[in-house]
Amino acid sequence: MRKFYLAIIVFCVALSAQAQGKKKAANFNASKTKANANQFIEQQWWLGFKSGINWAQADPIRRYTILTPTNYSASQVEKKYDAFQEIGIQTTVEISYYYKGFYFSTQPGYISSTFTYSNQLQWVNPTISNEKLTQTYRQSQKVEYAEFPFIIKYDITGSKLRPYVQVGVFYSVLLNAVKTVSVSSLDEAAGGTNTITSEPLIVGVKDLFSNYAGWMGGVGASYQLGNVRLVLDASYRQSLSNIVNPQNRFANDRLSGIGDAQDDLNLKNVVISAGVLFPLRYLSSNFKSNDR
Amino acid sequence: MKNTILLIFLITLAASCAKDSDLATDKANFTRIYDNNKFDASNYPIDMKQTPDGGYLILGRRKLTDSNFSGTYLMKVDEWGAFVSELEVPSDKVAPIGPLLEVNGKYYFFTMTPIGLKTELNEVDSNGALTKTISVTGDGAGGYPAAAYNDNGRFLLLRYDNVDKESVVDVITPAGATSSYIGFSVGRGDNVEAPIIEHFLQTGRQFPFQIGKTTAGQYFFNGFYNYTFSLVFTDLVSDTPGVVQGQQDDGGFSALMPLDGNRYSAARFNFGDNYLLPTVTLNSTGISSSADLNGNNLPELSSNATVKIISATVNGKDISLYGSNTRSKQISLYGYEKATGKFLGSRYLGFSNPFEIAAVTTTKDGGLAVCGTTYVAGRFPRICLFKISREELAKSFK
Repeated sequence: MRKFYLAIIVFCVALSAQAQGKKKAANFNASKTKANANQFIEQQWWLGFKSGINWAQADPIRRYTILTPTNYSASQVEKKYDAFQEIGIQTTVEISYYYKGFYFSTQPGYISSTFTYSNQLQWVNPTISNEKLTQTYRQSQKVEYAEFPFIIKYDITGSKLRPYVQVGVFYSVLLNAVKTVSVSSLDEAAGGTNTITSEPLIVGVKDLFSNYAGWMGGVGASYQLGNVRLVLDASYRQSLSNIVNPQNRFANDRLSGIGDAQDDLNLKNVVISAGVLFPLRYLSSNFKSNDR
Repeated sequence: MKNTILLIFLITLAASCAKDSDLATDKANFTRIYDNNKFDASNYPIDMKQTPDGGYLILGRRKLTDSNFSGTYLMKVDEWGAFVSELEVPSDKVAPIGPLLEVNGKYYFFTMTPIGLKTELNEVDSNGALTKTISVTGDGAGGYPAAAYNDNGRFLLLRYDNVDKESVVDVITPAGATSSYIGFSVGRGDNVEAPIIEHFLQTGRQFPFQIGKTTAGQYFFNGFYNYTFSLVFTDLVSDTPGVVQGQQDDGGFSALMPLDGNRYSAARFNFGDNYLLPTVTLNSTGISSSADLNGNNLPELSSNATVKIISATVNGKDISLYGSNTRSKQISLYGYEKATGKFLGSRYLGFSNPFEIAAVTTTKDGGLAVCGTTYVAGRFPRICLFKISREELAKSFK
């Protein structure tokens, strides 16, 4: 992880140095710059930082189970996935090249998502009504990835407030995954109604997940404030492939022991980010970063 | 622009190369727990065999409300471990014993009648359907079946004859006829018989009864003889067998697998302690004591633990694979090189809820299947099945 951030910092510094060098050259020969102004305002490099929050939902591609019913329907113990319930965070570095209203952008960063699901088991004695136990398993799955997207953005207008649309693809490299399992029981066989809530089981499950590729699309807006732009955008992201490593589906005995097997999953995220972008060329007052 | 196209191509390629599930992966490794939602249901596996279709046939026992003995339960699952069928055998066939004995594509196991204690031989097809029940005739017709062995199409049966107070070895044909037998006195007195009967009623200690044949063709059984739980070698003729004595019912062998000549892979128990002996030479004549044998003491195993030993090939090595139960309620596997007894590795199965081993077998794909009991929600005894791939085995037993 440290190496990843170090690489990003080195890359940004290199880009900045290149831009500053070009800025000095532009100041040194202002007349030449003005002569080429039309060319310059049509293209620009932007460097920025964005952070925000996201909501995740996992959709089963193929379902798996450890607890296999022999005298009742498997649908009774099927996992129920919650839709965009838990909040995750993300932070990215944006490097964009602007050309005639289009931005060709890479936004490497870190994203942490949490999705949740639950299932319920019940054992009953049809002839003795109080012989009944209900157990609810609630699973919270946090996954952390380094993301490497390639995004194309298009400014809809060229005013100070610029709404834009964006589409892209990304590749996510798994950094870590942790599962928290909470079990609550309603035991009516002990002579009364006994509600039991056990301490959550927290398990590192990096082996259960894998890298994946995905696509994204969204909208946003930037606001010109002096030489910088403030950015707010929202996007929807979805994996193009299974995010689970099937080889290790049953490898974790702590989870197998309580009957949890990871389904094959598609991961969806709704992501909202805010940040700031700095122009890497023409930072002087003569050449505002307004590039239209 | 070229770079852009290249990047999109690489991401698309990465997506297409993602590890999707496939049928081969899904049947190479899996864990299953077969649940019944009846509060009072109790199923315990006894043995398991892989069937020609790649699935698994499981023989078990179940709790009966109309008998003091255990009932019989059969279950068939497919090669992915998915449930196919179950059969709660009627309660006129009780106290089933393993292993499942395979002869000509059929599977056999012994039970007895709850009244009269008549021995029965049951035939099951590979789909888990009970196709025939044969009453054993001849001397092997009565008493408590304790252990069985497939001797090239004939069955060896160890049973306790509660009338003559003997451990009896029978040779029984698949047609149910007793071709030969020999009995050995367990000793007289209620103190001797009580733990034996409690074993069959499942109310007391479960003894590791076993019967088999050495590589030299000599029969052996692990059972009660002359007041002691002993390993007894017999030619079915002589009434002075070779004996490796235990310590009354506090010591003896937990499991035995012949290797070659007088060499065995064995496990023994002694007043709660457990010792694994990957290669040990036993004297099949005269009298000796299992307490004099050394072995690897494994304090992690539960008191007088159940032990299963099978032969397997892992990483090209012939190994003796031990399966047992730990004090932490996991199933433990230990691998030892057959030739030298060298320890190769261990693996533990199950967590959170208790797990107990019932049977372990190699599979056609070079992997391993382990069947056991787990207590779902910490209380409901249910059958579980672990399938471990050849690759996973190779990682565990290097």
